[in-house]
Amino acid sequence: MDTKTKIKEILVKLLKVKPEELKDDAKLYDGIGVDSTEMVETVIALEKEFGTKLSPKEITKFSSIDDIARVIKSKISA
Amino acid sequence: MEKIAITGLGIVAPSGIGRRQFWANIKSGRSFIKKITRFDASKYPSRIAGQIDDLEKYSSFSERLLKKIDAFSHMALIASELALQEAGIDIKKEDPNLVGIFLGNAIGGWLYAETELRDLYIEGREGVSPYMASAWFPAAPQGQVSIHYGIKGFSKTVVADRASSIEAIGYARKTLNKGKLNMILAGGMEAPVTPYALLCCNTYGGLSVNNENPESAYRPFDKKRSGFVIGEGAGIVVLEPKERALARGANISAYISGYGTSCDGQDRINPGSDGTQLARAIRTALKDAQITAQEIDYISLDGVALDIWDDSEIGALKNVFGAGLKDIPVSCPKSMFGNLLGASGAVDLVITVLAMENSLIPATLNLETPAYPGLNYVTPEARERKINKALIISRGRGGINSVLIVEKT
Repeated sequence: MDTKTKIKEILVKLLKVKPEELKDDAKLYDGIGVDSTEMVETVIALEKEFGTKLSPKEITKFSSIDDIARVIKSKISA
Repeated sequence: MEKIAITGLGIVAPSGIGRRQFWANIKSGRSFIKKITRFDASKYPSRIAGQIDDLEKYSSFSERLLKKIDAFSHMALIASELALQEAGIDIKKEDPNLVGIFLGNAIGGWLYAETELRDLYIEGREGVSPYMASAWFPAAPQGQVSIHYGIKGFSKTVVADRASSIEAIGYARKTLNKGKLNMILAGGMEAPVTPYALLCCNTYGGLSVNNENPESAYRPFDKKRSGFVIGEGAGIVVLEPKERALARGANISAYISGYGTSCDGQDRINPGSDGTQLARAIRTALKDAQITAQEIDYISLDGVALDIWDDSEIGALKNVFGAGLKDIPVSCPKSMFGNLLGASGAVDLVITVLAMENSLIPATLNLETPAYPGLNYVTPEARERKINKALIISRGRGGINSVLIVEKT
């Protein structure tokens, strides 16, 4: 499973949203409506899934699914 | 002070969700106190309660929201929605800065908190949901309802044990009378049927342990009383200044015309034994409503079903109403579904308004041999009676006395 699909799976599970609502360019805050506590939960789940630490500067509420996938891929390959 | 109009009722209780189902069960005098089935309560001294099992059936709130909140916030959201629907108010069309919310709660959201604390000790810090921080505390329902409707006006959560919701409603009325807001959602919510909350309630020692006979366990003012039984739910009403309610053609259910409060200041748990301070709170409320004791034609009793509480409540009534007390019908309908602690007074308010509308006073269950003879108890069945002015008593541990006066429109 590619990184983007895994991220979407996590968001569907955590936020109880429908998969079709998650476009690649959807930003966490504007597009998906993630609130501050959901941000914390999302980052914790991503760190657990991909085994890497993510700083608040790397994943922000303005990050899109594409952006998150890019950050995670670069961290894993580094 | 001016009378404040009640224009919408929202009720979530073991006896029913929504005014129709709730009132049908209340007027029939049916008990909804049962053995606790939500978790294994077999080792608790008291293991009976008024429990709500089908909350989700009445909920229109998303799974995404529900996973972030405790049951007591969920109950407050449903009760608020019901109250606003009945009032015919769309908050989006209101000035959000002039809408407030005043809620009462005694113990917080333990169903959520317990689960997360267990995870803390088993899985460590990272096992705890980040929603824990905003889910458990007594003001959480105020926050969740405010966020859901975009309420931005002056708001409060009052924590005053079982008197919390009457204190919140009294405070809301004062705020409306100062002209600070256009409308307020006021009431309370409580969800104590959880392992830890039930343990705390048991430790307090005021609960009936008549587990073999749940329906007859809660018997306020009866000679064989053995303490109260807890229940869960929420009662929330829409309050508006009379002029505004009339101007918008609202259906006014009743008016809140008086409020009185006092503290006994004697013991950390028990009330003052003679009810002197409760009597003072009753007199304050009567004065506030500018009526005499003789004008009251129904009293909704607090009814903790413990000697010192019932003694002092009756003592206060005798002190204020004197020989006239025998002519005033008195009742404690919470004997049917349990004491909703911080929400108990708000639910009593909803019942009193429904009793006024239907000219029917609900019964006190299990009051077979009154410990205080000579009072006009409504028992064992509901009694037809026109009510124009009613008095509601709600009291909290440590001697908090709260009294509300409600008048028919």
